[in-house]
Amino acid sequence: MADQKKSLTIQHAQEQRAQAEALFSSIGEGAIATDEFGKITRINPIALATLGYSEKELLGEWFPKKILALTDRNVPVNLIDRPITKAFLTGKSVTEKMFYRRKNGDTLPVIITVSPILLENRPIGAIEVFRDITFEEEVDRMKSEFISLASHQLRTPLSAIKTYSHMLVDGYMGEVTPAQKKSLRTIITASNRMNELISTLLNITRIESGTINIVPKVLKGERVCEEVIKELALAANEKEITVSLKHRGRISSTIKTDSLILKEIITNLITNAIKYTSEGGAIRVEVQGRARDVLFSVHDNGWGIPEHSHDQVFSKFFRAQNTVKRETTGTGLGLYLVKGLLERLNGKIWFESTEGKGTSFYFTLPKERKTKPLTKAPPKKAVKM
Amino acid sequence: MANILVVEDDKDLNNAYCIILENQGYTVESAFDGQEALDKLKDFEPNLILLDLLMPIMGGLEFLQHFDLKAHPAVKVLIFTNMENSPEVAEAYKLGAHRCIIKSWTAPHNLAKVINEALEADSPVKA
Repeated sequence: MADQKKSLTIQHAQEQRAQAEALFSSIGEGAIATDEFGKITRINPIALATLGYSEKELLGEWFPKKILALTDRNVPVNLIDRPITKAFLTGKSVTEKMFYRRKNGDTLPVIITVSPILLENRPIGAIEVFRDITFEEEVDRMKSEFISLASHQLRTPLSAIKTYSHMLVDGYMGEVTPAQKKSLRTIITASNRMNELISTLLNITRIESGTINIVPKVLKGERVCEEVIKELALAANEKEITVSLKHRGRISSTIKTDSLILKEIITNLITNAIKYTSEGGAIRVEVQGRARDVLFSVHDNGWGIPEHSHDQVFSKFFRAQNTVKRETTGTGLGLYLVKGLLERLNGKIWFESTEGKGTSFYFTLPKERKTKPLTKAPPKKAVKM
Repeated sequence: MANILVVEDDKDLNNAYCIILENQGYTVESAFDGQEALDKLKDFEPNLILLDLLMPIMGGLEFLQHFDLKAHPAVKVLIFTNMENSPEVAEAYKLGAHRCIIKSWTAPHNLAKVINEALEADSPVKA
């Protein structure tokens, strides 16, 4: 009786093992299993094909040593930073992007997920699943290149529209009546908007492809806000909106960051405040130097963002339902861009909003910039005149 | 008054820049690609070249490689492009361009201003 029970248990265990093996080899991505010391115990055909090894060459080998992982700068990833180490140390699943070196020396970009196998909370091994993302990266690169070129091509006719409209207004082709001037100014405003849209698209492409250039300079947060407010005075005046600037506290707002990117962020936030506030409203811009960072905030008494939309505010193409009908010029890209730009400057952004009462956007920038260093010196930029 | 060579393949823009600059009192010659610009330079001595980057036959960067700015210290080159922050812009600076300006942002009065500033900026080394 006991023997029969024992043989049933063995049979059950064998079945489980066969099932696990079938499951393992049928995973559509590279899969590697290790024991608690990181020695390879199992590897599926896709992993072998992707890395260019035979099963015999890998089984029993110490995984972190046998399969070399590299950073995007082609430097080997430290053992402590390898996902498998992190998974063992934390007991949690870890997902990361890095590069693997194949047997023939080629490198390939991969997305790796490592899950520890836990028995009574103790790791007894790990399973790593990884995917070769060469194709995705290539598609991404092509997309960026296409947008860059398309943006450039869109700007060429736009330059002609703008230049000739200005020439007409300035009287290069003879006198124009006030009514004609007004129409021409509308054309200029529209072409400026189109230009801004193209810039936004370009910036988004750069953020998404990680090619944005950061040129840090020492500057005063307040001064940048002042410049932006001056530039947007016309738009604010049109709606009779007052824009005030205040420096809070005694600590200076001096900061080392990229002035053009900071300007872009503040411009976007104040433009939004003007757009989504009714005529006669008030906007307050505040800058506060703090011990480690500078806090910027833009407060309006406008239409506010409905609470059910709060978690989508920074999503691409998001536009709040209560604004779409009233304000038609938004693209839904501004705040997505702002968030992306702030991430590159190691800043943080958040907001508070009550529908019908107004919105406050806050962001901070660290006084010492600690972003990833650029691999090469940032090129000089072309300037907007 | 100074001499200016406008190198721009878009006929409408080329024409517009010529009108604006002539109106300011400059003597202007125009070319529609880098090769034509090199030909014009055989008997036209500009103080400033307004140069587009993306052009057929010979683009702006290739033009700068042929027309060595170090050998012509009296000539200033203003790059007029719609390529924002691109590697081409960085390359143009390396090749000695005085300044790069984004075309689609520039109103005519600003064009005249930028050119005046460039012409007045650090005069070439005196012999």
